[in-house]
Amino acid sequence: MMEESMTSELLNTVDLDDELQKASPQKVIEFALSEFDNIVVSFSGAEDVVLVHMAHQIRPDIKVFVLDTGRLHAETYRFIERVRDHYGVDIDILSPDPEALREMVRKKGLFSFYRDGHQECCGIRKIGPLRKKLLEVDAWITGQRKDQSPGTRMGIPVIQDDKVFARPGDRLVKFNPLANWSSEQVWDYIRAMGIPYNELHDHGYVSIGCEPCTRPIGPGQHEREGRWWWEEATKKECGLHGANIRK
Amino acid sequence: MTITLVKKILKDGSPCAKCADVLEKLESSGYMDRINEVVVADERDPESPGLQLAREHNVNRAPFFVVEREGQPPEIYTVYLKFVREVLEQDTHESDELKEIMKDNPDLDFL
Repeated sequence: MMEESMTSELLNTVDLDDELQKASPQKVIEFALSEFDNIVVSFSGAEDVVLVHMAHQIRPDIKVFVLDTGRLHAETYRFIERVRDHYGVDIDILSPDPEALREMVRKKGLFSFYRDGHQECCGIRKIGPLRKKLLEVDAWITGQRKDQSPGTRMGIPVIQDDKVFARPGDRLVKFNPLANWSSEQVWDYIRAMGIPYNELHDHGYVSIGCEPCTRPIGPGQHEREGRWWWEEATKKECGLHGANIRK
Repeated sequence: MTITLVKKILKDGSPCAKCADVLEKLESSGYMDRINEVVVADERDPESPGLQLAREHNVNRAPFFVVEREGQPPEIYTVYLKFVREVLEQDTHESDELKEIMKDNPDLDFL
């Protein structure tokens, strides 16, 4: 463990990102698993099942977690259990802090996100449990992709220093192996490999999250239009342009 | 302990909204006195001090805080309320902190 931790400290994630941007998701995962023992895969119960598949091929006892917001579709819960059975992996189902949830629902009701935006609800139902979980690990793997958001400034690196969720004074490395894959590539892979998938995808759902915040979309619509559709597309300006950050 | 705040200037010369918001919160709560230096990451100038700090510490967003304590490696804070809680040792509401993380990290939407 000590040796692995020392190795990770030597990782220069900016230089590595330049290199790994060209690598396949499988190679990125292989690299991540070779560098870290204490690493976990984030699985949303949707098409990011490909990560579970790829990681399981390399390390059959890979650790996986799911953020159970309490508002997922019944189909998603069934799918999570199907994945657990299919791969025989340890899936840690994380729940929101009951007191924080109770306080929010008591004050604002069960559908405050339609009025106030989804950030507060997602904060309590997803980010709280996520933050707690990530305190336990040295690295994590997500299914985030560049094509999930229409925002042109959404730069998703393949590997990054996660300064948001790192333990105080410590380091957390985040891998996004699918960053450069399109939705189409993900689905080509799912079909080619016969990977199980969430049955909601057969009913027009592209991006799948909580039931009240997810809807099927039609041809030509961006997947983001199936999530939080009542909110105006947000302009993001907090990122520092990559060209300025890289040497 | 030395605290440096890095704020951003956009390509069109305007300050970023989040940076302005954080500065206003620091001023109104009286925490500004605890900040030793404010430097600018100017998107029009890759060699601006803030962008140099961002490169040095591998940070890809602003505002952020660099906290230096004698004999310890510098710590980087990109979440304002986490900085307030851990460095300024002030009480914050966890739900506010989580909301800030969500707002500033739209990529987390898809977890």
